[in-house]
Amino acid sequence: MNTSINKQEQNGAIIAVKTNVRDTINDFFKKTMEKGIFDAILIPMQVPAGDSFVYVLLKDSSLLKDASPLSPIMSVQGAKAVSSITRLGKGHMKIAAFLRPCETRATIELTKLEQTNLDNITLISMDCPGVMPISDYIEDPTKAMKLFENAIKNEDDTIMRPVCQICDKSSMVAGDLHIGLLGAKKDTFFIIPSSEKGKQVLSDLDITVKDNIDSWTSKTQAKAEEKQKKRKKAHKELRLKTGALDNFLDTFAQCINCHNCMRVCPVCYCRVCYFDSDKVKHPSEDYLQKAESKGSIRFLPDTSLFQMGRMTHMSLSCVSCGSCEDACPMSIPVAQVFSMIADETQELFNYNAGRSLEDPLPLKAYKEDELREMEDDHD
Amino acid sequence: MTKDEEFKPKILAFLCNWCSYAGADLAGTSRLKYPSSILPIRVMCSSRVDPLFILRAYLGGADGVLVAGCHPGDCHYQEGNYYTRRRFVMLKKIVEDLGLQSDRLRLAWVSASEGQKFAKVSIDFTEKIKELGQNSAKHNMFL
Amino acid sequence: MTKILQLKKSTEQGILEFLKFLLDTGKVKGIFTLKKINTKGDIAYSLITSSEELTDATPFFPLMPVNAGKLLSRFTLKGSATQPVVAVVKPCELRAFIELVKREQGSLENILFISSTCGGVYPSSMIVNGISEKELTAYWDAVKKAEILQNLRPACKGCTEFVPYTADITVDLVGHTNLDKHCSMFLNTTKGEEFAKDMKGEILTKEIDKGKIDKFRNKREAEKKKLFNEINSKMNGIDGLVEIFGRCIGCHGCSKVCPICYCKLCEFESPDSEYDPSNYESELKRRGGVRVPPGTLYYQLGRLTHIGISCVGCGCCDDVCPVDIPLSLIFKKIGESVQNMFDYVPGKDVDEKIPLITFEQEEFAEVEE
Repeated sequence: MNTSINKQEQNGAIIAVKTNVRDTINDFFKKTMEKGIFDAILIPMQVPAGDSFVYVLLKDSSLLKDASPLSPIMSVQGAKAVSSITRLGKGHMKIAAFLRPCETRATIELTKLEQTNLDNITLISMDCPGVMPISDYIEDPTKAMKLFENAIKNEDDTIMRPVCQICDKSSMVAGDLHIGLLGAKKDTFFIIPSSEKGKQVLSDLDITVKDNIDSWTSKTQAKAEEKQKKRKKAHKELRLKTGALDNFLDTFAQCINCHNCMRVCPVCYCRVCYFDSDKVKHPSEDYLQKAESKGSIRFLPDTSLFQMGRMTHMSLSCVSCGSCEDACPMSIPVAQVFSMIADETQELFNYNAGRSLEDPLPLKAYKEDELREMEDDHD
Repeated sequence: MTKDEEFKPKILAFLCNWCSYAGADLAGTSRLKYPSSILPIRVMCSSRVDPLFILRAYLGGADGVLVAGCHPGDCHYQEGNYYTRRRFVMLKKIVEDLGLQSDRLRLAWVSASEGQKFAKVSIDFTEKIKELGQNSAKHNMFL
Repeated sequence: MTKILQLKKSTEQGILEFLKFLLDTGKVKGIFTLKKINTKGDIAYSLITSSEELTDATPFFPLMPVNAGKLLSRFTLKGSATQPVVAVVKPCELRAFIELVKREQGSLENILFISSTCGGVYPSSMIVNGISEKELTAYWDAVKKAEILQNLRPACKGCTEFVPYTADITVDLVGHTNLDKHCSMFLNTTKGEEFAKDMKGEILTKEIDKGKIDKFRNKREAEKKKLFNEINSKMNGIDGLVEIFGRCIGCHGCSKVCPICYCKLCEFESPDSEYDPSNYESELKRRGGVRVPPGTLYYQLGRLTHIGISCVGCGCCDDVCPVDIPLSLIFKKIGESVQNMFDYVPGKDVDEKIPLITFEQEEFAEVEE
């Protein structure tokens, strides 16, 4: 992945946009298929009804003209799509997967969790403007599309998912190739290779990588810093709102335990979730005793156990994509809370979910001498 | 060549081991002609056919699905085909209510000695499917 | 003729007093009912064992956060209730529980069932900002006048099974203009009569007002026809289905909240439904492209074939769907169509076998052309 190229020597290629960005990207993929570099492309497409976008694995290159690389919503987290294709093996097809940075990062986490095989997959990401909450899009798809296009033009993300608005990794390069829209001159964008695999693709396309990408680097860095400040502030406010048990319970009070958040989460891959298993199914006497000890219990109990338990299970790999919040039928700010906790837990181990395949999962590695400050002083 | 002449239907046929598969065999050994559109799949009993098999076949693009078993009352396992009948009736209703072409699904009782009937059912059903044309689910990317 | 326990209290007060009576006399050890669970006014089902907690109970609140049938199944999954409890549930929730009991996913023992003639519920999304006094008043006004409120769950608007079949006690709500003055509890079973014995109140003997019920049922029937026709117009072939279900993100929320879906490992989440690389390759060869993850229609239609026969039309699936697919109407419509073929009403009678596990030797001869 990206660790094989030194950041300082990084160059890119400037691609000219003839009609618009979307068509240029689609054309790029068409060329790769014509040259046999890829056998199929995983890319978003609008559904026939026009009211949503889904990932489609395209083998027929003539269909690429209808692909929507910059889709306004994230109906299914891209990492789930890549995992669906490769969980049972790498297959014969060489596939390019066009994903947002958080989807690329989740793909890397899933690879570490042995739910994805990247052997025949080339990961291509792009500067992400964010995605709209899916319910906003569905309400009025035509209007929403216009809002989205304007948002990109004006670099205004107020219509995007709450966690998108405070995302400082929207241009993070974690895959093999990255399309840099920010900082590029008018009617151009950058293609930046970040691995040997990515370099090879460009070389096979006869695209020379010799252009300076400083304008992209400085623009994206500035944006990331701005977002980091915004993120810190948002998390500080969120902590006040949800910290302490009563506030936490209030935030999740309307949770109906549907577990939608868990099922749309790319990191939650367990076939039978612990919180759906026999472990949480108790005989009536247990429930009655619990009720008697408190006077009454919510039924089914253990909503908070599910929420906090899920945090302990996936927080270290959480990429703050926000799919959970989109799927919550009760409009609970799940992603905002989980994302805040994820930042803090990952920081404990100096870990950044999806940054690199070479970073071991924090709970699968250890140093003999570390985290002394967590221990009691025995004197 | 017109489209119709080119259309070679693919009809999945679930045949129970004891009656209808034997009947199909008999049609073969008796040199009775029946279309190559019939693709047999042997099951031990017609009640082994989960409605999901039929649904998967339909959505997978099969132009027709035939389920054939022993005549009611003659099931090798006593009751299997009674359940088959109920499940098939339910599935056909669902397919019909969804606006799909329920005529692409057919249930037939064919005993081991009914080679003729098997051939007739195959010929009739293939004709019917030819009339209906190709199953549009075959090429849909968004199923 | 049925015995009625009539309390000279508002129905809300009356039922709470009755529940308190049951708890205080030790006739039950626990009460299942909707309850305010915090100062914000959020509502959830609760298991109440102390009468102090009863003050926050809201038995007939127009909300169904979860289908109570599913909850009762969880309560009795590992064995019947060890102590007597009373459950205040809506008719469809009771029917769902009966369907689950038929599938050995629960037990009716030791549970006293209180239900009501049901005016429907609001969609769960309405509680996100709290249900206002105005909305509550509008709801009860419609119930008293036996009218159909237009912003209820679609499944409720067209529901003709609003009179519970197997409740021990039915509280009269729909068309009961004196809800603020009287609480009328029909004691349908000897069990109901036993539990109500010694409760302070008038015992009358009369029938439930059939004329009133029939009139309301006709209204609901007309609404149902209207809603079903709207859905019907969209069901035209594969293309129509792809349009209706195209937005589905495969979250399977509908399955998880559905009371009838109880499988530990759903077929559509099992290895059976996974594509391996060769599946993708062959699909791509034929179609040129395939949606990922695949099998959206297969899941929806497959689930329909699995649960349609027992669908009670509660509408929880609608509420949980993140992309607003009109699931409850589709499943209710096709579910009823299948049920009608066998003259089957799910949850009406626990001794009536599910149609697919029984048969007649002579039937449906027309299916074999």
